[in-house]
This record gives sequence, C-alpha cells and structure tokens, in this order.
Amino acid sequence: MGTPLRIVEERASGGTGIRPEAGRELAVSLRNCSLAFGDVQVLNNVSLDVYKNEFLSILGPSGCGKSTLLRLMLDLLKPLPGGEIVYADKEPSIGMVFQKPVLMPWLTALQNIVLPLTLGAKKKLGKKEAREKGEEALKLVGLQDFRNHFPHQLSGGMQQRIAIARALAAEPTVLLMDEPFGALDEFTRERLNFELLRLWESPDNSLSSVVMVTHSIQESVIMSDRVIMMSPRPAAVDEVLEVPLPRPREVGMEELPAFHQTVKALRKRVKDQ
Amino acid sequence: MNEKVKTVLYPVVFALGFIALWELAVRLFELPVYLLPAPSAIVGVIDGTLGGHMMVTLTEALVGFVLANILGFATAVIFVHSKPIEKGAFPLAIALKTTPLVALAPLLVVWMGTGYTSKVVASMLICFFPILVNSVKGLKAIEHEAWELFSTYKGTRWEIFWKLRLPTSLPYVLSALKISSSLAIVGAIVGEFVGANKGLGYVVLVSSYHMDTPNMFSAIIASAVCGLLLFWTISMIEKKVIFWQRVDEV
Repeated sequence: MGTPLRIVEERASGGTGIRPEAGRELAVSLRNCSLAFGDVQVLNNVSLDVYKNEFLSILGPSGCGKSTLLRLMLDLLKPLPGGEIVYADKEPSIGMVFQKPVLMPWLTALQNIVLPLTLGAKKKLGKKEAREKGEEALKLVGLQDFRNHFPHQLSGGMQQRIAIARALAAEPTVLLMDEPFGALDEFTRERLNFELLRLWESPDNSLSSVVMVTHSIQESVIMSDRVIMMSPRPAAVDEVLEVPLPRPREVGMEELPAFHQTVKALRKRVKDQ
Repeated sequence: MNEKVKTVLYPVVFALGFIALWELAVRLFELPVYLLPAPSAIVGVIDGTLGGHMMVTLTEALVGFVLANILGFATAVIFVHSKPIEKGAFPLAIALKTTPLVALAPLLVVWMGTGYTSKVVASMLICFFPILVNSVKGLKAIEHEAWELFSTYKGTRWEIFWKLRLPTSLPYVLSALKISSSLAIVGAIVGEFVGANKGLGYVVLVSSYHMDTPNMFSAIIASAVCGLLLFWTISMIEKKVIFWQRVDEV
C-alpha cells in the first residue's frame, strides 16, 4: 500500500536504539507494532518516530486505529509480540487529552486539574504544591477566574481547556491528544488550535513533543511539523509528509500556497486509498 | 409568585380541594361511615395513640432501610471487585427478590417473634434488592476514558474506587434510596400484619376486624405520610449530594 517510512527502511538495514537522526532527537519510537482485538486486526506493523520539539499529527479515516496508537504509547494497550514502544527518557512524563474532556463533574475546575497530581502509590507532590501547579496550569489556559466553577457551569470549549490544563499540570514532555477539538464548533476549535500552539512553543513549560490524532486535514497541516497519514483498517503508516510552513504558525497561514499544496497532497492520498 | 412558593402551594391547593370534595360527597350522598368516612370523621378519631403507632412503624422501616442499604451497597462493592462472587451470588439475590415478601413474613415472625426484629428484617428484605442492583450498575458506570485517565497517572485500585467509582455511583445509589424509601414502609407494615401489637399495620388490621373504618383510614393516611416523609428527605439529600445533575422533578 503506501511508501514505507524511510526511517523504517534504515532500521531494517541494521539500525537499533534511539539516536538522533538528521540532527533531530527522538522522543518516542514505535517499532513494528501490530494489534488485534479478537479477530479484528487494528494495527498492521506500524512503525513511527516522534522527535523532540516536534508537533506531529496522525491523520486517517475514522475507526482506523489512530486512537489505539495513542493507547499503545500510553501503555494502556500492549502491542503483539514483535512490536515495541521505546521512549528516549527512562521515566517519560506523558500527558493525555481525550476527545471528550473527561472531567469529574463533582470536582471544580481546579480540583480536576490537581487530580492527576495526587494519584499514585508514591505521592509525587504535597497538597499545597499540587494546588500551586494546578493554579499555574489554569493560568496557562486563561481560566484562572473559573477555578471554582464546576464542569457543568463551563462551556464545551472551556471544559476542553481544563482538560488540556490538567494534562499540562503534570508537566509532560510528551503530550498525546486524541481529536482534542473534534467535538467543538469551528470558531472555538480554531482559537484553541492556536492557543495550543502558543503553549507548546512557550518556554515556560516542559512540553516538547505533541502527538495529535485528528481527522481534519486542514487542522493537521496548520498545526504540525509532520503529518502521518494512516491507511484504513488495519491501520499502517501510509505516508509521512513534512509541512513546509514556517514557525511560529499564525492565523492567516491557511492562505499560503504551501498550505494549499500540502492539503492538496494529503487529499489526493485520501482519494487513492 | 416565585417557583418555590408554587411548588408548595399548588399541591396544597389540590389536596385541600380533594378533601373538600370528599367531605361534600360523603354528606351529599349520605354514605355509611363503615364504607367511606368523611375526612372530618377521620380527623375526629385521631388521638395521641396514632402518633405512637406511627413512630413504631417509622422506626422499624427506617432501621430496616438503613441496614439494608449499608448491606446492599457493601455487597455491590464486593460484586464489582469479584466476578466469581457476582456470578455466583446474583442469582440468589434475584431469587430473594422474586420471593413475595408477604409469603416470607409469617416465617420471619416464627423465627424472630412479634417484636421489632421481624419487621426490621421484613423491611430490609424489600429494600435490599434496589440498592444492590443500582449500586452494581452505578459502580460500573465509569467512563472508559476516565478509567484510562486514572490508569495513565498510576491511580491505585483504592483511588479508582474512592475518587472515581464511588462518586460516579451516587446518582444510581440515590435513585435506589428513593425507590426503597417507600418500600421500607411496606415491609414494616407487612411484618405488622402477620404478628404485632403495635404499629400502623396492627391498627389497620385490628380496625378491619371491628369495621372501624375511620380508624383504619387514619392509619392508612399515617402510613402514607411516613412514606412521604422518607421520600422527601431522600429527595432533598439527592439535590444536595449530586448537585451536578439536574434532578428530576418529583
């Protein structure tokens, strides 16, 4: 089906281990990951690399296994024997944002953000410290005035920003997002897209790599450095595309020829599948 | 007029209208008192003893209600954490549920006598099933993504229970409490029917022997009031506890 990922080719010729490639440092590497739920094969030999300081989008038809890929990276699912997921850091800090905000309705915005910081057998943070981190994260998404609001008192966009703040509060180096803005209206979605880019570019947080699953071609192009195109189920990497747009991304870059060309190339790819 | 006043005023107006119609009908058609006593005749027979009987029934029902709900919830927690126990014991719980309480009540009196215990147990038997079923459902009702969130951040089993399962189950638990609040009174009264010397069920039974319909009515109404009191208390607690959900109008 598509062209194999060039990094895979190189690895087949004897490359092992995590190492910088073309001046870029690897953050996460999935190697030959296959997965099946019962008789249904979901992933077919997926190999892909995520670099440090990279915004990567995974694009593909609905139900092709994009979310499953993230769950592998979160260690919520295990690949079939032969596949492995390797993080460059020994104890990687990973954040996750789901399509739905998944907020606890009985907790305030701030309590929701603090929740992950207080979980786990070995408490990482004291109560006060966790609260301070929560407040900081709340400020990052601009919702400090809503710290004591409950989720049902917030709009869908605000709820998703709280979910992002919750992921950021744990100071992840890798942020995984599963169609984070898929359930939002166009206006909110566009605003949050750029808000997320500003957060990622900002030196105030530890965030290094973002992996975003999306089914919007435009969104993937305007946000990412690279777009991974998945084939329909069983999902495999169909193509990897570099987005030739400069950083930082600005509103209005959708008008640039480079944007249109990339979108067009991806569209063509979809049609050929 | 604000909404709060309306929710109290309207039912009161309807109730008063109903009572007035009843009184009027009895007087107009000169119905015999053993068939349908007028509200004024019922009020006439109410004295201090009714309050005493009411307290007895309410106590039996309340103790049975509380014990059954604690026990039922604890059982649900065990079920949720152990598939074999759930699979093995759930049919038994269903068998218990499908056995009519009325058929069991005489046995309870034989075993435990005519005192409080048999009524409390009767009340427990009838309250146990709703809380068990709803709690199992509620404790399992967690969103898959919420579970993933807790797992991602290395939440322990205990944390998942305490910070996720338990709060998620609350709406289910409270709706079970609402159902069983009225059932608890039924259990106590059925127990009293079989063997007792006090309580509202006892008053109903004895007045029926004497064709004392006004007294019977007073006890029936008192039992309805008991049920309402319990139900309203639970509804109020529900509004406070699960503030994040729009509670259905009662």
